[in-house]
Amino acid sequence: MELVTTIPTKYDVDGYEAYDAVYLGMPYCWEYDGNLISDLKVLKEVAESIDKKVYVTTFAAPRNKDLERVYKLVDFASDFADAIEVTNLGIAKYISEEYDIRIHVGGLANVYTRATAEFLKSIGIKRIMPAYELPIEDIEDIKRSGVEVEVVVHGKIPLGIGHECFIRKFSDIVGVDCPDICKKDLYFKSDDLILIPLGQATYSGKDVCMYEHIEKLGFIDAARIEVMIDGSEYRRKVGEIYRRRISSGFIEEDFEELKRLSRFGLCNGFFFNKPGQVYVPR
Amino acid sequence: MELLAPGGSIEMVKAVFEAGADSVYVGVLGWSRRSKKYEMNDQELREAVKIAHDFGGKLRAAINAVPKSIEVDMFKERLDFLSSIEVDALIMNDIGLMKLAKEWGFDVVASVGCNILNWKEAELYKNAGASMIVADCKLTPEEIKEIIDKVGVRVEVLVHANTDFTYLGKCWMSSYMSLKYEKIGEKSYYVGSPNRGGVCFRPCLRKWSLVGEETYTEGFNLPNSMFLLLEEIPELMRVGVDCYKIQGREYSVGLIAEIVRFYREFLDSCTRGDYKMDEWKRRLVEISKRRDAERFRRTLELMKIAKATI
Repeated sequence: MELVTTIPTKYDVDGYEAYDAVYLGMPYCWEYDGNLISDLKVLKEVAESIDKKVYVTTFAAPRNKDLERVYKLVDFASDFADAIEVTNLGIAKYISEEYDIRIHVGGLANVYTRATAEFLKSIGIKRIMPAYELPIEDIEDIKRSGVEVEVVVHGKIPLGIGHECFIRKFSDIVGVDCPDICKKDLYFKSDDLILIPLGQATYSGKDVCMYEHIEKLGFIDAARIEVMIDGSEYRRKVGEIYRRRISSGFIEEDFEELKRLSRFGLCNGFFFNKPGQVYVPR
Repeated sequence: MELLAPGGSIEMVKAVFEAGADSVYVGVLGWSRRSKKYEMNDQELREAVKIAHDFGGKLRAAINAVPKSIEVDMFKERLDFLSSIEVDALIMNDIGLMKLAKEWGFDVVASVGCNILNWKEAELYKNAGASMIVADCKLTPEEIKEIIDKVGVRVEVLVHANTDFTYLGKCWMSSYMSLKYEKIGEKSYYVGSPNRGGVCFRPCLRKWSLVGEETYTEGFNLPNSMFLLLEEIPELMRVGVDCYKIQGREYSVGLIAEIVRFYREFLDSCTRGDYKMDEWKRRLVEISKRRDAERFRRTLELMKIAKATI
């Protein structure tokens, strides 16, 4: 099982030692400060400095006007990346037609069924992150298509993506504008429900945690620790904990540390046919 | 040019054709992106097809909730049935299953839930079997024109457009908040997940606060409002949009009939080129008030269900 993580910006290139591979870039906003997919020169320097497999992500919600910029990124990254991650299926089609490079399809692409996985495999997709909303039995069925399967085993997950950056509408109230407003520690709260804005996307407040249940995901090819928001120390600590979990089994102190690291608590996402924010103990 | 209307019940199917719709769409029980209350069982589907055809119209079956991966055999059984009752087209969400439906010979419409955002993606859906795609409400007429020109696919727009916080089909906030796993016969049904067939509990419309070092502001909603297109329609006609869809299987029959009548007259007037926009805008204000009132009642009902479901 490959252990992978995400590094969104040039300010955050650290804490990846425990992993087998890293995804570079933040897919929800071109203007996000330090976004590795917005500065190709820096992207390449970072990729070459990391002694792991390097996957480059792409903008998740490209309209017609964004296509050329995404194509330029893909063309550039195809020289040094081990794979390109796409969440827009039009981009997946383009890469499969033009390049001989591994394509990973991300979780926002809405792959819900084996039928879709088979279709994507037929156009050259090698790895799929099934829709975040799927329970384990459906992910397992997608795996039967023959594609590699990756899931987020720990970290906050995207709960939606829209056409604009909503947080920017609060610039006057907060007192800072784009891109600095994204550096502020801001979230939306309604009773006990927390959502964290990130560019055009919205993330869960709680951290998905499959530490107690990792054996149930024994069939997956890659386990992702999603670190779009929490920074390099979180990446380092959680990565080390899951590395030990894979090699040595359950360790109570590590699980307690994961609880401490989660600012708004743990949940299991959608793995158990429950609401995403619920945590089901072992 | 086609005016497509909702059929939340047999009564609504009749009413929309009487009001001037060219076609109607209905939900297949357990398989569409709405509550089962507004879907149809096999007998109702058969009756709805007959009504549509008697009016000289067409019927599209919405089978656009994504099933569980292991339910493909059930999906094939549904295709057999829908083919046997001579449904004219299917509205679908899952690109893999679209390929399958095409093998059955169906005309396939890629639902708004596919969230097709660019022409390259539209091309992929066309290759997978879609003969029509539903444009996301955020796409501009220029973007739609580029899709039509480059891909040669037919395009439908939602007249009942939205300004949602997220793209349709790309939101899991409702099921993150509340979700109930049920079954209709052998078919799984996820109440709280719009993509998987159940309703959306509209978490956007809760009262939200923006919190950081302090609480910056509170009591706001995340964007989730709907509006009826009007001034945009002549431009959409010009760029080649084929189909204008009125959503609202969950609204009252009287209101939907009134909306259909309004758009029938407006589209015809646009075709003739004799419309006076101010008059149409005035008429639409009254219709919108009634629609807003019905939507508000429905939202309160859904929030109540969500609380009971957590």
